[in-house]
Amino acid sequence: MMNQKMKTRGGKDLRGLLWILPSFLGVSVLYLLPYLDVFRRSFTGAVDEQFAGLNNYRNVLGNTAFLLALKNTLRFTLVCIPILILASLLCAVLLSGSKYGGMIKSAFLMPMALPAVSVALLWRLLFHSQGLANQWMGRFGMEGSDWMDTGKAFWILVASYIWRNLGYDIILWMAGLSGISESIYEAARVDGAGEWQCFLRITLPNLKSSLYTITVLSFLNSFKVFREAYLVAGNYPHESIYMMQHLFNNWFQSFSFDKLSAAAVMEGGVLLFAILLLQKVWRMD
Amino acid sequence: MKYKGFHRMICILLSAALVFTSLAGCEKKGTSGSSGGAGGDDSGGRAMGRYMEEELSLPAEFSSIYDMKKLEDGSIRIAGCSEDRESVWETKDLGISWEKVYDFPEELQDDVRDTAVSSGGRVACVYDEGSDADMKEIFYLMEPDGSFGRIPFELPQAEELYVNLVRQILFVGNDRLLICDDQGIFYLVNAADGSVVRTFEFGNSENMYAAFAMGKMLLFQSISEVLLYDSETGEQQSPGEAMQNGLAESGMIRAADTLDAGESIYYVTEQGMYHYRFGGSVVEQLIDGELNSLGSFSVDVGSLLMLDERNLLAAKRDGNEEAGARAGILKFAYSEDTPAKPDKELKVYSLYEDNSIRQAVGGFQKEHADVYVHYEAALSGEDGMTVSDALKTLTTEIMAGKGPDVLVLDGMPVETYAEKGILRDLSSVIEENKEEYFEDVRNAYRNKEELCAVPTRFLIPMVQAGSAYYVPGEDFDTFTKRVGALENMEPEEVISRFWYSSSAAWKKEDKTLDESRVQEFFEGLKRAYGDPPEGAEKKEDSALPGTDIMQGDFRLLAGTWNISAGLFGSNPDYKFLLAVTEHLDGGDFGCMPGQAEHVFVPSVTVGISSKGSQPEAAEQFVRYLFSGEMQKISQGSGLPVQKEAFRSVIDGHQYEGNTSWVDLEEGIRFELAPRTEEEIQKLMGLAESLKTPALQDEVIKEAVLEQGEKVLRGETEPEEVAAAVAQKMNLYLAE
Amino acid sequence: MNFRLHLGRKAVWSLLIVLALLAVYPVIFLSAGSLMGADELEDCLGAVVSGTEGYASFPVLPKYPTLQHFAEVLLDSPEFFVMFWNSILITFGVLGGQFVAGTMAAWGFARYEFPCKRGIFLLYIVLMLLPFQVLMLSDYLLLDRLRLLDSLWAVILPGMFSTFPVFIMYRFFAEIPDSLIESARLDGAREWQLFWYIALPMGSSGIIAALVLGFLEYWSLIEQPLTFIKDKSRLPLSVFLPDLTMTGKAGFLFAVSVVTFLPAIMVFMGGRDYLEQGIMAGAVKE
Repeated sequence: MMNQKMKTRGGKDLRGLLWILPSFLGVSVLYLLPYLDVFRRSFTGAVDEQFAGLNNYRNVLGNTAFLLALKNTLRFTLVCIPILILASLLCAVLLSGSKYGGMIKSAFLMPMALPAVSVALLWRLLFHSQGLANQWMGRFGMEGSDWMDTGKAFWILVASYIWRNLGYDIILWMAGLSGISESIYEAARVDGAGEWQCFLRITLPNLKSSLYTITVLSFLNSFKVFREAYLVAGNYPHESIYMMQHLFNNWFQSFSFDKLSAAAVMEGGVLLFAILLLQKVWRMD
Repeated sequence: MKYKGFHRMICILLSAALVFTSLAGCEKKGTSGSSGGAGGDDSGGRAMGRYMEEELSLPAEFSSIYDMKKLEDGSIRIAGCSEDRESVWETKDLGISWEKVYDFPEELQDDVRDTAVSSGGRVACVYDEGSDADMKEIFYLMEPDGSFGRIPFELPQAEELYVNLVRQILFVGNDRLLICDDQGIFYLVNAADGSVVRTFEFGNSENMYAAFAMGKMLLFQSISEVLLYDSETGEQQSPGEAMQNGLAESGMIRAADTLDAGESIYYVTEQGMYHYRFGGSVVEQLIDGELNSLGSFSVDVGSLLMLDERNLLAAKRDGNEEAGARAGILKFAYSEDTPAKPDKELKVYSLYEDNSIRQAVGGFQKEHADVYVHYEAALSGEDGMTVSDALKTLTTEIMAGKGPDVLVLDGMPVETYAEKGILRDLSSVIEENKEEYFEDVRNAYRNKEELCAVPTRFLIPMVQAGSAYYVPGEDFDTFTKRVGALENMEPEEVISRFWYSSSAAWKKEDKTLDESRVQEFFEGLKRAYGDPPEGAEKKEDSALPGTDIMQGDFRLLAGTWNISAGLFGSNPDYKFLLAVTEHLDGGDFGCMPGQAEHVFVPSVTVGISSKGSQPEAAEQFVRYLFSGEMQKISQGSGLPVQKEAFRSVIDGHQYEGNTSWVDLEEGIRFELAPRTEEEIQKLMGLAESLKTPALQDEVIKEAVLEQGEKVLRGETEPEEVAAAVAQKMNLYLAE
Repeated sequence: MNFRLHLGRKAVWSLLIVLALLAVYPVIFLSAGSLMGADELEDCLGAVVSGTEGYASFPVLPKYPTLQHFAEVLLDSPEFFVMFWNSILITFGVLGGQFVAGTMAAWGFARYEFPCKRGIFLLYIVLMLLPFQVLMLSDYLLLDRLRLLDSLWAVILPGMFSTFPVFIMYRFFAEIPDSLIESARLDGAREWQLFWYIALPMGSSGIIAALVLGFLEYWSLIEQPLTFIKDKSRLPLSVFLPDLTMTGKAGFLFAVSVVTFLPAIMVFMGGRDYLEQGIMAGAVKE
């Protein structure tokens, strides 16, 4: 019968491909093709499209604005993601298994639903030089500052990111926690292990596998803070929050497609490398 | 678990909505696709036939034409106002020759409120008699031969109105007059004896109705509806839904006429001319206003006269400031062998709406029947579009080859565009008659041998003050050494005004910002500004402060400000500038002292896109912008770069022969008279001396404004701020 | 010992509650603002929006609640409804596409073996992580070729094929026990039946989670519509008023803001449980 034939090795291949075909076609046309175009552009001049070899790459790597944006983006990622992951893990451990955990969890998830425009409006009111934050600080006798125009802008961005994504990550962790069977804990407790020891010896190792997803998703979400930063501080924010996307945006506006494309290709490469690295780390366990 | 049901329901609803909307989405796509296809057919099939516009010559210069009718013998009679005198004229040969029928009687010469002409050549007019509470409307009827008498009709006193005045009069046929008063009531009156035949009232006086007569039919139009009445029976008829809907799209009717005693209507709106058979299902657009002056924003059409189906006249009034309001008659004739739509489309783009460009588009369109000019001003202010969003969209369009042909570069990064090869070299375009122009201004953006952007206008940063605070020609240091010279000004005003004269000196050879000069700038201004006043209130509105020098004049006269500084040119009221100067103790005006010298601000800078599809038309358009005709237009965008036009804008020639004085409250009066040669030469000389274009970089300007304010308020030190600005800008310049 | 632990717990819980309140505060803040009259807002926020002296302040609840701003938004701005409708079309158009293409692809990746599967999936992840600006120009040129610019499809189509939902749903389908599928096969179920009767119901929480996340994302889309759509009557709500500096319009902004996020919050609350399960299940395996 047909059905049985389909189960052969070759048939399997075909069927799998058929399932992803619609999506893959769409992705190829709408994402891959444009990316290939970007790749081509990275070797040509911005407007005249003359072949330029590796010049664009050289220009980008020697560009101080690029280096700053790179530094900031890396700094942001390296600061944010660990904080977020640790904070959410902590909250998740505390909330899991509690009766009221659900409500608090929902509260943490709420910020995710706010559209960027609303969040930007909020930021404005809070962190304006005459805004609410300064008023509160004034009440406690501290001197306010023009938040968005100092190095504090970076930390506001970090806070905003964590505020928006904490709930998301808490749930990711709780999922991991719920996957650990209670019997392991019980066995450990019988052996006289304290709560702290249980956490270190059982919880953490078992959560290692969730780390990959959480990291990738946190990473993805870390790009989204740009929208708020842009809506609040415009094209040229304080230099501490001048991110890769600001630079891309500005390059775009000034027809610097040569540099934009070269940087984009490099970014794609770096992302690929990072993902492979993550997968490797994750598979080691 | 209790909520499980609720959640499931939401999910079901969501998926239902999902399916429904995606279907709706598909449907929408289907319809838009088909309409797009229809549009494609139009352009492909090359439909022929278009109404071509020309302007009739008039016997005199009219400031307005009240009404215009065709008489039975085919002659055309108009009632208009020329040189403050109302008169009636007639032409038998469509404007080749005109004959004055009569002037209005002497006793009617003042305060004519409205005038109407009948199809039999009679003229009715209404004028105001008396003043204030005693004001009364008097109606007169003039027979074709010029004999005249009063119409014994008086408007009833209105209780809630102070005085009841006439809004509109018009003839219905030859014998009846329709009069609309301020309460919105229409009286149909016998012209001979003033008896009221019928009145029309539409509920409330809030909604303004305007009336149009087509034969015996009357059409009343308000913002929300159109009503049709038979004037003989008083019976209401339905004009048809199609018309109602059509008007919602095309805008209000400005004038109307008929060729078949009211079976159908021809009407003009701001979008063109339309024909509609009452009760019919379609409104037909006969003339597209975008292709001629019907759609021009300064033109209003007062009356429409259909000669036959293919020829018509429209009496217009052109509100262009420089020319003063001027009336004229446009003739449209159908030409079979002209394509319905011009073949070429020339796209003109600017960030901000600019009236002088708008005007030029209309003028250019008229002269080039084969080109359709599409003008787009990206920032309407109605939506959340920012400069940055607009520029990004512009970038994508240019790169896709769909961008504009002519760019008005104000507010755009001109140098970047030039560097990237987006702008074409214009050297050859402005090569002719160089001596007629202020060449240094036109060459503001010259870069080695290439000239990619040319200002069509410019502004002059100036300072005006008594000799205690300013001596023309002095440098920034001397000027700012007078502590307190700038006191009482708003900090952001100081920065935004003095920015122009100094910023040109800030960029170093290597394209980075010279921090020390920025610091000097802030220090100088801070010194001249003095200590910030105690408890100073911030200005109520945070809108960008104005930069026009004229804005400071009243405060200068009142002694609040010691000096007035700003840009001269957007409102080139030279007589006023002189009058104020005269009033000051040792007053004078001149270039604004700054770190750079002889600075001007390029304005309405144009460039041609190297990726545009109509390079020739674009060149013609740019040339047209430099023509004397266009340069003389003064629409608030700056002074002309053509010397002759410059002179004509400032010399006050329009007051020749009718000098008068204007008194202002501050005890200052100025003369509305032509300027003396000496005065003209002073400003011309100033303009000739200008060499350096101001730094036109919005990003730097914004940063300087934002930071500079803090210095003047005493919140931060100049040094810190200069460093902050330089750091931010060097990042920007490094990109 | 027990007592100390108890106290410690209490402290930790209070801290958590404070944090949770902090997280919800903005929602309350915006809602309160939208109900304040123009004068009250001017008093409170004048320092920020119109540059008067002093600091902005903000009470938790409005003193004189009014629906004035909502009336202004809902009754006096016809364009608001057009944009609202556009937002609906865009969001549900995208979600509809993701539902079809995304679930199929995720099912394919999760349950079948085929050449280059790893490579393609890796590609999906990298494409998911690339910022929009990178592909903006090329996307524009492509959509121009396809004659889709200036229509809602210019935003919908790329959204439909976003790889993010595939990444999310993949994990759910991978979790369905092999035994279940094998036994269904033995019972003679065809491949599409497996998808229809097993994958969709069993992966429903993952699908809903992906769709809810998609809703939140596409409901507040800004860059794409601004780049690809020029016709103002086709813009979605999310670009209605990104200009926040308007003087004297703070109340209006608040109201627009609330009306904009209300659907998002509603969808979020409705899909919350599935979202939680969804995000969860994604993390359990692998």
